[in-house]
Amino acid sequence: MKLIQFASITKKIALAAFGLFLLLFLPVHLGINLCLLRDDGGEWYRNASHFMGTNYIVKVFEIVLLASVLLHICLAIYLTIENWLARPVRYKVRTKTKTPFMSRYMIWTGGIIACFLVLHFINFYFVKLDLVQGKYSASIEQVDKLFQQKAIKLQQGELNEKEQAALMAQYQAISQISPEKMDKSQKNMVNLTKEEVIQYCGEDFKHVEPDFYTMSKELFANKTYSLIYLVVFVVLGFHLYHAINSLAQTLGLSHRKYSPIIDWISVFYAVLVPLGFAIIPLWFMFVK
Amino acid sequence: MDFTLKIWRQESQKAKGRFETYKITDISPDCSFLEMLDILNESLVNKLSHPVCFDHDCREGICGMCGLYINGHPHGPDSAITTCQLHMRKFKDGETITIEPWRAKPFPIIRDLVVDRTALDKIIQEGGYVSVTTGGVPDGNSILIPKHKADKAMDSASCIGCGACVAACKNASAMLFVSAKVSQLALLPQGKPEAATRVQNMVAKMDQLGFGNCTNTYACEAECPKEIKRSNIARMNREFILAKVASEEDLQQ
Ligand code: HEM
Ligand code: SF4
Ligand code: FES
Repeated sequence: MKLIQFASITKKIALAAFGLFLLLFLPVHLGINLCLLRDDGGEWYRNASHFMGTNYIVKVFEIVLLASVLLHICLAIYLTIENWLARPVRYKVRTKTKTPFMSRYMIWTGGIIACFLVLHFINFYFVKLDLVQGKYSASIEQVDKLFQQKAIKLQQGELNEKEQAALMAQYQAISQISPEKMDKSQKNMVNLTKEEVIQYCGEDFKHVEPDFYTMSKELFANKTYSLIYLVVFVVLGFHLYHAINSLAQTLGLSHRKYSPIIDWISVFYAVLVPLGFAIIPLWFMFVK
Repeated sequence: MDFTLKIWRQESQKAKGRFETYKITDISPDCSFLEMLDILNESLVNKLSHPVCFDHDCREGICGMCGLYINGHPHGPDSAITTCQLHMRKFKDGETITIEPWRAKPFPIIRDLVVDRTALDKIIQEGGYVSVTTGGVPDGNSILIPKHKADKAMDSASCIGCGACVAACKNASAMLFVSAKVSQLALLPQGKPEAATRVQNMVAKMDQLGFGNCTNTYACEAECPKEIKRSNIARMNREFILAKVASEEDLQQ
């Protein structure tokens, strides 16, 4: 319980700092998600996911981000329990003091967001970690290229028996692929399981990235999921509205000149960012 | 005016408390809240039962001794006043008034509505001394202080240490009180030499005594009889960060 040795203000500042990092991350995430709306069969979105999935700087940030979420949650729970313990006997008459509405329910709005994150991770992030079965896609062009390379090797007699058999199996499988597994542009195989990817494209595709585009489309075709996502975005807005104001106060930023600006940023951010996220399920529900 | 009073009664810190209901009649609207309780107590004494204990001293809103949690508000429904400045005309005839003591772990109940607020004094003590020059009377203008700073320091210094901020806060946090005490000195040149040590020691004491953490809910500001502002808390956070980051002094713990 080393945490006890930190001053209350230090703990608050740490909570705020982790929160600030999350605040910076959300617009990035939103920007990538909005690529889903482009009617390009998911090209932009796949490129963006590919960048986020492979770039090393992004990978470092991913770890920092996960740590921030976890530490923000742990600190929030710890501080809240301390706060409850500071008043062991409650008042009989509940407080009538007027206070900003959302400031009173941060642990609950935060808790809902945390539950949502678990669901969201199962839906997407764990697929990337291969903990959950997802959907995959592969570009015909790439598969073709690899296939031809191997065919040349075969002609030159550079493949052993096992490799030859694998190549034949792959050729058979791919020639019998059902038309549903091709996307509109005929450029990509979509809707594959990981086994199918290996079956059609060979072992070289073992580390293929999940096709979040198809997965998102499928997920939001389900009304229950869409509804859960939408409700959580409203809750997120509530959390963010108090969070940004609170962040400034915790970091000691309070001034006649810029405090009103921070108030405006709170409102804009807390409305626009969740709204941006909400457009995506709404789009898949009503437009697509 | 007639009222039904529901008052918290508790014989001692360890005893189990309970609410008692009292009817009180013929109260003048100009009667103050504490006078109303005096009248109740007189009738209780006449019936040879224990009067309701409550804290008070100056009865003119300057000492900070009085403090009751009345119908969900520290110091009652009126704003910017202490309990002793509250009048019965603020209530409706026939209203039921629930009176509770300040509730916070660092404020143990002594009896009935009286709580021990020594914790606040301990925080002030932890603030330590302020260096002053002794000797002849200094020239009034030898230390220049901008007017706005003098005003802010004066506003912060008007905190009477009543503890309503702690009572109002959902976390029983003493941040408004401590920040007022930190600010009144941090704003002035005379308070600068010990500023870094002061803020760290006072915050450490506040934590150690079991007050909650601030969640920037500002119930304190809404209920403070002296209208101490939330900007004091931001100032204290600032002072604290600066002290942690920039002060080279070791704390004597
Ligand atoms: C996208 C996710 C989130 C973002 C961007 C976010 C952001 C923030 C920010 C900036 C603060 C203000 C910090 C301060 O003033 O000290 C805050 C406070 C808080 N957050 Fe979060 N948060 C998120 C998720 C969560 C989650 C999952 C929880 C779960 C328990 C949570 C619980 C809290 C609590 C209890 C506070 C303290 C409220 C207060 O001091 O009034 N947050 N959050
Ligand atoms: S800050 Fe206000 S409410 Fe708190 S102790 Fe001082 S005067 Fe009382
Ligand atoms: S009795 Fe002194 S302030 Fe109320």
